[in-house]
Amino acid sequence: MAVDYVHQFALLVLLNLNRKVTKIQKILVVDPEKCTGCRLCELVCSAFHEKAFSPIKSRIHIIKWDEKAVDVPMVCQHCSKPVCVDICPTNALYKDAKNGIVVVDETRCIGCKVCVLSCPFGAISWDTEHGKILKCDLCDGEPQCVKICKFDALKYVKADKVTLLRKREGAKKLSELVSLIVGEGFYARG
Amino acid sequence: MEFKGGYAGKILWINLSEKRIKKEPLPKDLAYNYLGGLGFVSRILFDLIKPKIDPLSPENVLAFATGPLTGTLFPQASRYIVAAKSPLTDIWGSAHSAGFWGPELKFAGYDMIIIRGRAEKPVYIWINDDYVEILDASHLWGLNVLETEDIIRRDHGDNKIRVACIGPAGEKLVRFAAVMNDKCRAAARSGMGTVMGSKNLKAIAVRGSKDIKIADPNRYLKIIKEFQQRMLNNPFTPSRIKYGTNNLIELMQEIGRLPTYNMKQGVFEEYHKISGEYIRTHYLIKPRACFACVQRCGRHTAVPEGPYAYVGGGPEFEGLSALGSRCGVSHTEAVLYANHLCNLYGMDVISCGATISWAMECYEKGIITERDTGGLALKWGDPELLVKLVKMIAFREGFGNLLAEGSWRAARKIGHGAEKYVMHVKKQEIAGQEPRAQKSMGLASATAARGADHLYAFPVLDEVGFNEEIKRRFGEQYLPEMADRLNPKYKGIMVAECENFAAVVESVGVCKYGTMIPPEFYYEDIALALEITVGFKFTSTELRKIGERIVNLNRAFNAREGVTRKDDTLPERFLKEPAPKGPAKGQIVELNQMLDEYYIHREWDLKNGLPTKKKLEELNLSDVVGQLERIGILLQ
Repeated sequence: MAVDYVHQFALLVLLNLNRKVTKIQKILVVDPEKCTGCRLCELVCSAFHEKAFSPIKSRIHIIKWDEKAVDVPMVCQHCSKPVCVDICPTNALYKDAKNGIVVVDETRCIGCKVCVLSCPFGAISWDTEHGKILKCDLCDGEPQCVKICKFDALKYVKADKVTLLRKREGAKKLSELVSLIVGEGFYARG
Repeated sequence: MEFKGGYAGKILWINLSEKRIKKEPLPKDLAYNYLGGLGFVSRILFDLIKPKIDPLSPENVLAFATGPLTGTLFPQASRYIVAAKSPLTDIWGSAHSAGFWGPELKFAGYDMIIIRGRAEKPVYIWINDDYVEILDASHLWGLNVLETEDIIRRDHGDNKIRVACIGPAGEKLVRFAAVMNDKCRAAARSGMGTVMGSKNLKAIAVRGSKDIKIADPNRYLKIIKEFQQRMLNNPFTPSRIKYGTNNLIELMQEIGRLPTYNMKQGVFEEYHKISGEYIRTHYLIKPRACFACVQRCGRHTAVPEGPYAYVGGGPEFEGLSALGSRCGVSHTEAVLYANHLCNLYGMDVISCGATISWAMECYEKGIITERDTGGLALKWGDPELLVKLVKMIAFREGFGNLLAEGSWRAARKIGHGAEKYVMHVKKQEIAGQEPRAQKSMGLASATAARGADHLYAFPVLDEVGFNEEIKRRFGEQYLPEMADRLNPKYKGIMVAECENFAAVVESVGVCKYGTMIPPEFYYEDIALALEITVGFKFTSTELRKIGERIVNLNRAFNAREGVTRKDDTLPERFLKEPAPKGPAKGQIVELNQMLDEYYIHREWDLKNGLPTKKKLEELNLSDVVGQLERIGILLQ
């Protein structure tokens, strides 16, 4: 039940990552299965960027299905073909050529909010108090949400390592399954 | 005056009789002298609630409060407190809970809600930042906790709304009904849900989008990350994440403190069937955290099929022991399901299980017969009966109607010596700590302000012997006696000091996991957190004094209701009958010795157990002295 959502999402992340990710050096990887829904990431994000606790101004949000115990962190994926960049009428959003991060230039932003509506992850939000776009900037290379998440639901890894990481996690599950079927001592017995 | 951070800065006053809503700024001196949470409600309800009122009348006042650290990054800072005069104990009543509701209330801009009067028809309160409204709840009345939250979220079209509500038990005025928030978190004890029900208030739904400011943002993140790291490095944290509080079943069995058969004994032969390991391997879906918590003791469990199938939150240790070993039930799925039903209907699992187990013992002794129960045979360990009784209590059906009054009131109605088997202090059922196996817990139950309660003091330093921590908090001279759970010596001092600190913990909005057990943070850490979050500069001594002030104020509240030393007692079973088996075999609770030490340490009068005039004046509570004297309570 819960697993369906999780796998769909994981697949989504993977599909996205498997596109051209050569330019971005490191990627924020989300693992909903490990998320316990504490929202520490939301708090630390707002404390870092806004100097206040304000989940609504956080760049990352945990979306929950309480009855299914599913918690999915939603955050900007810094897409290879970002819809927000394509759709932005003033080029306020652009993909930084150096590191592949999707950045917002606040001086150019006219506040039309098309990016908010178009992002498939809902990862861009509108700060009603200050009238500006809120989106993840990976905290100058040290994402605070990753640092505070000790459960590895959020990881910041090199792009080329991501698939390997996923493979390893998938393989781990498979090996657990194998030991479940054939017993723990299978390999030891040789 | 503005606060630099931490506080939301506003109090919300709601009068349900007059349908009036008022917002007032939070007075700075209230914040400075009482911190928040328990401190706020203690002061405000002492002033607002008149002595000797009926707790279920509109005159009772219900207050919800958060602390200055609620909703911040301090480890496990997600708690709120709800308080009123208790319909179960007829004295001070309060209960606290974590989850997400408390922080959401602060993000909506309020530190506290004070509710007076009674609505004519069922209503709920809808708070969306500055917009506050009293709405009709006739469509919600009768629904369980899960349905209520779902429908409120659907009606307002927002999945992030946080709801604190009552279930059918609160509506039917079951005396130990809980306020439930976030579906499976309970502010359970002393019948706060009952008070909500008596006010025709079904729910308080909150959605907030404001900021909580930080007084010192430059130092904040660095310091708080160290706190987080300390919590993570604590050797208790991994097992909390793995088992929640469920593995306490194994631990309590080991020290003979697991309440079994209505606390006749402290060991349960079939404990492994309700143990943390068994539940983790068979029924756990995932640990789920409260807001901003690194310990994640919350459980999400499921029984996939059969008559006890469910998916939902819980259980934790108290539910497992009260509905399991205490009633002699070892059928895991039935215990889990009964716990789930308590959540669904909004009831305190402790009082519910304890009342059922009292009835079972009376049935065994022939005091309650099938004539009283309407044909039910109340046999120890019957899983079907357990589940049936939980439902009957929640809806006050048949024999459940009697049990819904709580064991003390039910025993008075039954008579024939049934009172002797009520495991209560001040009419509230004792929680899952067999006091003969841990003397400090016996004393804590006897002195707690809201009737029998393990959390008011939560003296756990002797549970597994935190010698280092005792040395740090009290001094080396108290070792080894203070660390020995079977030795009554120094327990009076320990319980009094734990009460003071617990009052501070409940006031700032922090969880007792991390502060009391494991004892990672103490006054100096709270003081530092307050400094960087709020801008208050307290010393440890000053904070301790605030805690002491709150405990004395709660005691004064109870003194007005007639509580004296004679009420600070335990059931005869613990004072006279030696524990029959297990590691604590042969032990009784040396209560009087501990009580004397407790009152002396508190500088209270030894004879009547009340604060002295001098003590109250020293704590800046001179007005309280006057109030007590006006109604004829003479202080020494």
